[in-house]
Amino acid sequence: MTAENGLDPVIHGAVRLRVMVTLATLRDGDNLSFTRLQELLGVTPGNLITHLRKLEDAGYVTTVKSGGGVNARTSVSLSQQGRKALDTYTAVLRQLLDSASTNGTRPH
Amino acid sequence: MLEDQDMSAQEAAAVVQDARVRARRELVISAPLVYTAWGLVWLLGYGAMWLSVRGQHPYSGPSGVSVAVVFVLAGFAVAAVVVIVSRAAAGIDGQSVRYRNIILRTYATGYLILLCAQIAIKSSVSTRTYAFVAFAAPLLLGGLTYILASALGRNRTAFVLGAWLVIASASCAWQAPAAILATCALAGGGACLLAAVIETRLHAHDR
Repeated sequence: MTAENGLDPVIHGAVRLRVMVTLATLRDGDNLSFTRLQELLGVTPGNLITHLRKLEDAGYVTTVKSGGGVNARTSVSLSQQGRKALDTYTAVLRQLLDSASTNGTRPH
Repeated sequence: MLEDQDMSAQEAAAVVQDARVRARRELVISAPLVYTAWGLVWLLGYGAMWLSVRGQHPYSGPSGVSVAVVFVLAGFAVAAVVVIVSRAAAGIDGQSVRYRNIILRTYATGYLILLCAQIAIKSSVSTRTYAFVAFAAPLLLGGLTYILASALGRNRTAFVLGAWLVIASASCAWQAPAAILATCALAGGGACLLAAVIETRLHAHDR
């Protein structure tokens, strides 16, 4: 799914974009705890859950719950599909910025 | 905070850049800091041992003070690396964490074996052989560890540094004890500090 400007609307939101970029910093096969991700992004748990659900529905991130009680841990990782989607998003973004600087206009 | 389709392309690019810089700063182990910590151990610690044996005839080994300097600096380096790694690795789990633990345990085991070997062979080998095992072998172990770590992090600087340390330590097999210490201090410490500078410059655009 793409918006008018060609940017993937699932990723094109400040919090979701930050989530994707942050998770892309991890190596393949690694995951990040929900709490650390929340701390890095500075958002409320509820807000983060909402955005993660959208990304998970699109198949871009995977969340796994493990342990129980005080040892409960929710880990979040970027899927291969998510990594490709982010690569495409940044490529489109670069094109938009390049064409805007050539035409002297402000891209939306 | 801007949300959904409210963002322009410029604002999105700024978000990407900001998130990337923050994530790298918070989640990636700072290689320059690790190289600097160990570079100072080699340069200052082994440099102090080298200065203490220069001009010794016959060779009687480094002074107690210079050996203490090495241990104090190594203690600070280990503490610094533990802090750097635990801060960056907090909340991260998965394959790379398991590989990193294997590498760290291999290094620690290798170093313990070297310490035991030093004690075991001290009275039965020449001073030259002992100097190689005591001073150059840890450099060799460090070099092999950097090569292993480079495979995990796909880091060319770590690979080149590791290969250089292996070559430098191997060259010590043909050197006298004082020259071994000088090689460890200058080729070892100097290379680690140079690697720190190179890594910093390579990632300067990330900040």
